[in-house]
Amino acid sequence: MKKFLVSIMAGVLALAFVAGCSSSTPAPAPAADKKAEAPAAAPLPADVKAIKDRGVFKVGTKADVPKFGYKDPKTGQIDGFEVDLARAIAKAIIGDNAKVEASPVNAKTRGPALDNGEIDAVIATFTITEDRKKSWNFSDPYYQDAVGLLVKKDGGLKSLKDFNDKTIGVAQSSTSKAAVQAEADKAGVKLNFLEFATYPEIKAALDAGRVQAFSVDGAILAGYVDDKSVILPDRFSPQNYGVATKLDNKGLAQVVNDVVTKMKANGEMDNLLKKWGLK
Amino acid sequence: MQRFAWFKWQALFHDWHLFGQGLVKTVSTSALALVVALALGILFGIMATAPWRGTRLISRAYVDVIQNTPLFTQVMFFFYALGHWKIYPTPLWIGVIGLGTYHGAYVAEVVRAGIQSIHRGQMEAALSQGFTYSGAMRHVVLPQAIQVILPPLTNQAVALIKNSAILATISGYDLMHMADSWSAEKGYYGPAYLAVWVVYFLLCFPLATYARKLEARVARERGGEVKAA
Amino acid sequence: MKGSIMELLQPHLLLFMGKGLLVTLQIAVTSILLSFVFGTVIGVMRYSRHKVLAPIAGFYVEAVRNSPLLLLILFARFASGLKPVNSGIAAMTVFTTAVLAEVVRGGLNSIDKGQWEAAKSQGFSYFKTLRYIVLPQALRRMIPPMFSQFITVIKDTSYVWVVGVEELTGKGMIIMGQYGSTSQFFAIFLFIAFVYYVLCHLLGRMARALERRSILQTY
Repeated sequence: MKKFLVSIMAGVLALAFVAGCSSSTPAPAPAADKKAEAPAAAPLPADVKAIKDRGVFKVGTKADVPKFGYKDPKTGQIDGFEVDLARAIAKAIIGDNAKVEASPVNAKTRGPALDNGEIDAVIATFTITEDRKKSWNFSDPYYQDAVGLLVKKDGGLKSLKDFNDKTIGVAQSSTSKAAVQAEADKAGVKLNFLEFATYPEIKAALDAGRVQAFSVDGAILAGYVDDKSVILPDRFSPQNYGVATKLDNKGLAQVVNDVVTKMKANGEMDNLLKKWGLK
Repeated sequence: MQRFAWFKWQALFHDWHLFGQGLVKTVSTSALALVVALALGILFGIMATAPWRGTRLISRAYVDVIQNTPLFTQVMFFFYALGHWKIYPTPLWIGVIGLGTYHGAYVAEVVRAGIQSIHRGQMEAALSQGFTYSGAMRHVVLPQAIQVILPPLTNQAVALIKNSAILATISGYDLMHMADSWSAEKGYYGPAYLAVWVVYFLLCFPLATYARKLEARVARERGGEVKAA
Repeated sequence: MKGSIMELLQPHLLLFMGKGLLVTLQIAVTSILLSFVFGTVIGVMRYSRHKVLAPIAGFYVEAVRNSPLLLLILFARFASGLKPVNSGIAAMTVFTTAVLAEVVRGGLNSIDKGQWEAAKSQGFSYFKTLRYIVLPQALRRMIPPMFSQFITVIKDTSYVWVVGVEELTGKGMIIMGQYGSTSQFFAIFLFIAFVYYVLCHLLGRMARALERRSILQTY
């Protein structure tokens, strides 16, 4: 009887681990063994075929950046330029641009969500850097933007030179901190930084007076301007956004890059940018 | 395991000083917060057992409000809403005061239970011998209560260190913040979070083990008469 | 009245918050129930002094109890591939299981060793003694601490916002992102705190009432 009890306990414990913290339950991702059989079965790479078979392209987008990826609080739908870009990729893979499932990601969640197979790609104002290229595949840049500063109108701050001893709110992991710091060093201005996980938190910190400026890429800032705030003319270090995919999914990366380069060549990308007022 | 690729660990070791700075912030904030928690806890714990109804009510209200609202909400309140009065404590001070008041409420309960575990007769005997109330508290009741109080107090210290990770949500540049920030910047979250977990464990486990030893000793010495909360 | 507290008095915002409260309760209730089961198992394992099971349970409890909840939430969200709300339930379950396991073990330890010997002399097996004599007493003593742990779980569920789960506090953060004045922030957080307070305060009262009743029953 003791043995019986013991085995039940072991079972429940195992269950607890599976339900809880183990990595033994990965999402059904395109596995390596599938890749092996692919060349014989179909001309499509296994990772691309997996998406086609599933019939939906899962993409991580922003939910808090108007014009790029923004979740309308009334409809609950995420829409924007980057969601449209995902639709173009879905059309190339599945043949239907409606087969997109967009879920919101932020600086903390986007990498792990790619790696554990929750999403196929990240199209979320994700800046291409050398370090990040070692973790994920990036497409060619589809958008370039420079870092800017959003300030309160009544704060009397006109340019970065006025910022000595002021505090600037940046997004965690965004490359804007380094960009602003480099510019401030040139101007001989001493700055403090606060880092936040999401953009609305930085905007709230600006509104609350915790930071004197909200600094991220200009196009993102544009979505947060209201009647009490203004974007300064200063612009620093342009950043390139790319579509990121899991490092193993080379086939998918190729397809994604083909779509991006083709859209840039035939003017579709420009049309999309115009549609969202980004050009 | 790609997430834990060797080059990612190398990058982590290369930037170890960032994590070191984070550790310093975590430890110093926790230490200061613990002092605040102890001060508040002892004050309100004694107030809760005082013979005056007013002090008991105040103590009850403090413990009730703080223990029944989340630390996260309290910290968000301090960070965003105090601007309403143009008060802007730095994230670190929010950590010290937020964690201090939060755990202070728990320490107050621990102190109250400790004092109440000492037989009422002792207080009465001390008073009849000419001790003042505070004198009896200081020389008779508290020295005995401390033995009962110490184990759960140590557990509160462990809880406080763990909760100090909340600084990461208000840009406190603590250990957790460094892991978040560094791994989001580089994309190498695997080694960052694993390493940070080990550090938190090394901070907490010895304290937790010490608390258990103390608990066992109290149970032995007091013959199981008092069960530490 | 832009920027005023009155601007927040809209039915859809209250509904939005209400949905967040439901998520908070869903995570808290599910994880406390699961933790009761798993916690009992792990507590018994640790109590058993079994060569293999006791150290496993000990490792589990220590590893979980000595790490920040924020880290467990991140691990649960990213290592398991679960949907956000479920990952929140998983994280809270993993954490609360460790806490309740210690409560169960403490309860078992508090039961007089003489009962084991008495049961053995009456021909009860190890399992039967545990099942019919010792565990029921320990579990009855578990109900009040479980209630107070339930309060802790409700409060700690606010942490899952960091991985994007929109529970009560998270809903408040989202609303804060849409409105821009400090008096509104003030009102939002005061309101959230008030909801938590009412909920937890009432649960605390229930816990104390139960505690009194269980004391009356024991004697």
